[in-house]
Amino acid sequence: MVLPLRGKVESARAYWAFITPAFLLYLLVFAFPIVLSVILSLSNYNGGKMFGGEPWTIVGFQQFQKLFVDPNFWLALKNNIYIVLISVFGQIPLGFLLAYLIYRKIVRWGEGWQAILYVPAIISVIVLGIMWKMIFASNGLLADMMNSIHHTTFLAGLNHILQVSGGFNITDDFVRQLIAISDPHAVGAFENPVNDLKDLIVSGGYTAQNLDVFRTDMLNLLSPKWTPEFMSQQDVAMIPILFVTLWCWTGMYLILFHANMQKIDNQIIEAARIDGASEMQVLRNVVVPNLSGVIANAAILCIAGSLNTFALIWAMTEGGPMNVTQVLAIYMYQKAFIGAPDFPLANAISLAIVAFSFILIGITLIIEKRFGGRDQ
Amino acid sequence: MMKRFLELLGKGAAYFVIILFTLMTVYPVIWLLVNSFKATPEYMVDKIGLPKEWIVANYQGAWTLGNFDILIGNSVLYTIVSAFGIIFFAILAGFGFAKIKNRATGPIYGSFVLGLLLSITSLMVPLFLEVSQVDKLIGSLFASLGWMKAEDFHLFYNTRIGMILIYIGSGLPMAVYLCTEYIKSIPDSLIEAARIDGAGYFQIFWRIIFPMSVPIATTVAVINVPNIWNEFALINIIVSDTALKSLPLGILRFSGSMSTDYGKQFAALVIGMMPMLLFYFAFQKQITKGVSGGAVKG
Repeated sequence: MVLPLRGKVESARAYWAFITPAFLLYLLVFAFPIVLSVILSLSNYNGGKMFGGEPWTIVGFQQFQKLFVDPNFWLALKNNIYIVLISVFGQIPLGFLLAYLIYRKIVRWGEGWQAILYVPAIISVIVLGIMWKMIFASNGLLADMMNSIHHTTFLAGLNHILQVSGGFNITDDFVRQLIAISDPHAVGAFENPVNDLKDLIVSGGYTAQNLDVFRTDMLNLLSPKWTPEFMSQQDVAMIPILFVTLWCWTGMYLILFHANMQKIDNQIIEAARIDGASEMQVLRNVVVPNLSGVIANAAILCIAGSLNTFALIWAMTEGGPMNVTQVLAIYMYQKAFIGAPDFPLANAISLAIVAFSFILIGITLIIEKRFGGRDQ
Repeated sequence: MMKRFLELLGKGAAYFVIILFTLMTVYPVIWLLVNSFKATPEYMVDKIGLPKEWIVANYQGAWTLGNFDILIGNSVLYTIVSAFGIIFFAILAGFGFAKIKNRATGPIYGSFVLGLLLSITSLMVPLFLEVSQVDKLIGSLFASLGWMKAEDFHLFYNTRIGMILIYIGSGLPMAVYLCTEYIKSIPDSLIEAARIDGAGYFQIFWRIIFPMSVPIATTVAVINVPNIWNEFALINIIVSDTALKSLPLGILRFSGSMSTDYGKQFAALVIGMMPMLLFYFAFQKQITKGVSGGAVKG
């Protein structure tokens, strides 16, 4: 710390000149909004001029009472907790494991893998969200991949049946075998499957000469099909979002952990290995305790980030279908900007997100303090 | 013998895990790239294969339809001006906090560090209300002076300068923290020597602190450039005029009204992805260093 140069006055003047621009912007973007959200969440202000417009007053904790009985709020909170869990117990352990594989040179070309695995973290989540939406869509890439597997197996099965029945030779037995490899839903459409299907094939005019037509028709009619219902079915709608969350950020934790592992004194590990410790023991007894502070930091950033998930889900589902992929930030956005605004409620949600972040971060710090190893 | 076998098995499992993850990362991105050259009807029937004919027109179509020249221009402007603003104000404040004794440092610097834990997304509603009220207040002031109508004035809402000020503010907690800790490590003797030469605080800032802070400025830049470039939640509510929108907002339009034109949509996604991919390959070393400094947010 440098002593005042030419007296205290000049030093104080320079100090304030240096910190004021940053401090004012900090107040603008963080401090005032928090104060405002406390005031507005307790008020009945709902748009218009705040000063000199329609009068509004503080009315108390009504909004919070409203929130506590609002099923949508609990749904959004539940989904947010899923995202926190997949982040803290998915991204961090996975990132740690991958970092360890690279750090201990269990796999070669470590830097290369690391560079590739970070790529999703640098691309806009809007781009990635839309991309994954198209992959998980009911007619998307995933459906196409699964169905091409289904088709291949079905065709192989059909060819096998044709072979064992000695060419195009439609018997009850042939039809039974065909049914066995078919999609039960498609077969279920027939009242009396064996007879009806046999009639259908016989009346279809297929001959041993145009077996290809027969194969194609059977494929279209009977092959098992898979239609992903991630975007329409309630119970599974969160799965793609959780998957993409994990996919997107694991590489970032990989880099974070790998860099900090390199600070560990290598001699300790080499000595342990010579004494016969396995990689698992080294991981558990040397590397994890050495990085407990870094893990806690990662968990804190992870929690703060995942409670604020917005853009990724907005791009993938907009919180739909029927609000089942709703999270707090989207719920808040909808209350404020879609349809009739409810600013007091939106501000109450905003405060709830801030409060949850601090509670979870507090818990993380307590855990680190109690169970953490040596700090760096 | 058994031990050798187990070790080999472990190595195999390790390679399996890392290759699986790498494939899962790379394949979707390549799939996106390949399909951006496919005609829409072909995509409808074949989502896996290579295009029969590589169609560049998807890009021309997406580019004009999406107004990407405007969007990319805006994104560049927002990102560069905000990043420079963050760096400049953070080094300035960092100098104050690290090298000039003042009792205010404790609470004010502390509040910046606390800000590290706050995410701007959770505050977007009160922030929006705040800046629109500021606009209204200044507007009515100007109206009472007879300069303009109150609702015509906007400092924040739907203005570039407002968006940039908000971006600078949102990047500051992390940047101020990093710069302050960095400037603390600059030896006091350097500053004292300058003092003997009769330099004032501002001269010391320009001649010593600022040039010596280039490494930390690089770190702050590589963290903030992708964050601002990819930012969506705030600009989505602050800016409504197409001429002021950024790339992510434009990309999202393609998944709405134009979602059935897959060829163009894929091209738009690739256009949206490319700038940051190139940035990453150009500054990969610095980015990796920045991330590993614990400077993560997301």
